[in-house]
Amino acid sequence: MRRKRIPEGQGQPCRAAVPGSPALLELVRVSKHFGRPPHQTVAVRHLDIAIRPGQFVTLIGPSGCGKSTLFNMIAGLLPPDPDGTILFGGEAQRGGALLGRVSFMPQKDLLFPWRTVLDNATLALEVEGVARRTARARAGALFPEFGLQGFERHYPHQLSGGMRQRVALMRTFLFERELILLDEPFGALDALTRTIMQRWLLDIWARHRRTVIFITHDIDEAIFLGDRVLVMTARPGTIALDEPIDIPRPRDAEVITSAAFVAIKRRLLAILERESLKSFAVVPP
Amino acid sequence: MTRLLRSPAGACAMLALAWFVLVPLLRVPPLILPSLPAILRDAFSVWPALLAGFLITMLETVLGFLLGAGLGFGAGAAFAYAGWLERAMLPLFVASQTVPVIAFGAIVVIWFGNTLFAKIMIAFYLTFLPVTVATIRGLQSCDPERLDLMRGFGSSAWQRFVKLALPSAAPVIMVGLKIGIALSLIGAIVGEWFGATVGLGVMLLQSLYFEQTARVWVLIIACGGMGATLTGAISLTGRRFIWWRPG
Amino acid sequence: MKMLISILPACGAIVVLLVLWQMAISFFGVPDYILPGPTAIADSMGHSWRMLGSSLVVTVEEALLGFFVGAVIAIFLAILMVLAPAIEVASLPIVVALNSVPPVAFVPLALIWFGLGIWSKIGIAALSVNLVVLLNTLGGLKTPDSAAVDLLRSYGAGRFGVLWRLRLPAAMPALVTGLRIGLPRSTIAVIVAEMLGAYTGIGQIIYQSTAQVDYLTVWAAIFVAVVASLVLYGILVAIDRKLVWWS
Repeated sequence: MRRKRIPEGQGQPCRAAVPGSPALLELVRVSKHFGRPPHQTVAVRHLDIAIRPGQFVTLIGPSGCGKSTLFNMIAGLLPPDPDGTILFGGEAQRGGALLGRVSFMPQKDLLFPWRTVLDNATLALEVEGVARRTARARAGALFPEFGLQGFERHYPHQLSGGMRQRVALMRTFLFERELILLDEPFGALDALTRTIMQRWLLDIWARHRRTVIFITHDIDEAIFLGDRVLVMTARPGTIALDEPIDIPRPRDAEVITSAAFVAIKRRLLAILERESLKSFAVVPP
Repeated sequence: MTRLLRSPAGACAMLALAWFVLVPLLRVPPLILPSLPAILRDAFSVWPALLAGFLITMLETVLGFLLGAGLGFGAGAAFAYAGWLERAMLPLFVASQTVPVIAFGAIVVIWFGNTLFAKIMIAFYLTFLPVTVATIRGLQSCDPERLDLMRGFGSSAWQRFVKLALPSAAPVIMVGLKIGIALSLIGAIVGEWFGATVGLGVMLLQSLYFEQTARVWVLIIACGGMGATLTGAISLTGRRFIWWRPG
Repeated sequence: MKMLISILPACGAIVVLLVLWQMAISFFGVPDYILPGPTAIADSMGHSWRMLGSSLVVTVEEALLGFFVGAVIAIFLAILMVLAPAIEVASLPIVVALNSVPPVAFVPLALIWFGLGIWSKIGIAALSVNLVVLLNTLGGLKTPDSAAVDLLRSYGAGRFGVLWRLRLPAAMPALVTGLRIGLPRSTIAVIVAEMLGAYTGIGQIIYQSTAQVDYLTVWAAIFVAVVASLVLYGILVAIDRKLVWWS
């Protein structure tokens, strides 16, 4: 059983993760440098995160703080710097071992225009080696739940943005892995569609109960969806705050104006504003 | 209306109509432009040779094209994934394209004699480069974000090639194939000039020596017809398999 | 300077190829009529350089003249078609039909119309270049979307203003691509035409040398033609950078 170490702070206290159940994903002193000195940039520095199974964790931070870099590392697309470790299921992962072990949904839907909606949904399953018929059957069963019934034989260009996001989500959910990474999946949607999608996502998650890390830049969304919010600092990104969200589920729309919600939001806003200003400030050489 | 005109059939019809009407109307001398009925009469008078020539030339063109396209695709795929290979070999290939067709034709006949194979070789030589270049460009323009997506699923390089790179490259490769078949036809015709007895190229040469203007036009139309048919066949095949908009 | 360095690997490959060629010839004792070695070719070139030189000048003259004439007419026509869409619709059938016919099929016609002098070659070259440049330029002129055109019009720009400020710069990449495709085509078209009937020119030399079974001269002429084409192509690439500096 690993205890979470209190990481070096950036002047803000971090609450330790609740000890008890073993972490599904753990980052220990994970950093990422790009390029060589003197033109080197540090995307993230000394991240220490532990995620327990079944949690819905939201990640929020100012633009350019390295959120997407973090996801790329967890998905196995980028190696962390040598002095850090990523542990998955308790084992250290080296050199791309994570590829194919985590279900990753990038910001863009990246649907393949030459495939039908159904075949786009089964893309990850195909790569896994599942037989076409089985994959299609499995995907087909999910269509009603994702609100896409009847669109199996359509092509991506015939769908609206929200529907394409749902296809991408379906693809992500069909790839049955314990950990799901969602990178701002609702970012391109209008506010109205977004609220509907949020409630619908929580519904799905409650039923399938995977572990989710969800990146967003919207504070309301972060608090509404998550069991726990991680706030990243401006570049070089690190965790400024790890705040549990003790609002009971299921959460309905009115929860946004509740006292508990607003209290958390105030705390997050203060930190986020400070960190966002940093990206606009003139950095002394 | 534009759509109708743009279609080959529509364009042909319009052109035939204009030809039929304008030539007698403007009293164009037959040496410049014979009238449509005169051309049709001439075509009819030699229709067995015309048909045989058409089929032979088409055979040479298609076989040369298939060979060139097949190898071109293979070479293009190899070059796309082995950068060093591309840098060393591609300039040579581009240079080889500047070797004038007839120069190559003379050599090929010297090497392979006056056979069908020689004509196919010339057609192949001309098809090869456009298809190679198109394949390279198509495969290399694969969306890197989609590649990352596939990598995240734990895919193998072969899976990425078949499921992503190939479909992405298909539209560009299709353009290359269209260019290739047009060039293949040129190769077949020029190849026939170096000594053949049957073929559109042969008849073209004969009509030149005997200064038969009407025959020349018959052959121009025949060659044009073949060019349009072949390019159209490729377009149709393409449209069946490659109809999506890049997104 | 950078450009010179970038062609070094290709030059290296060419040198290696020449050396291997010479070695293979000597080693396998390949007879001259199949494939002469580079030294033998160089020797032949040395002997007949005067004849080769003057013929090359003629061929290059014809190709360049044809290229310019064809390109200028094509650009002019493309602009005309964009300014007056009715013209485009009317000429569409002709363009589509002409495009389907392989350019070589027109060579006998050009020879009948213009005789064996240089004008028939210039005509064929112009034709080969014309279609490519026309289609490319037309496509390029049409690329700006209606939002950009509306913006200019809101500033009070008339049709010419839109053409000059928006469409022409937008069309440059496509235009230059058309020119780059057109130049080798004009060279090849000229040489092919010379082969069928001419007083001088590289194509005629190749034809006569083949007839006289003087294969060394054939190869020498080919070599000269290739070098000339490459030089012309290189010039075009250099101009390309100047004309389309922002891409």
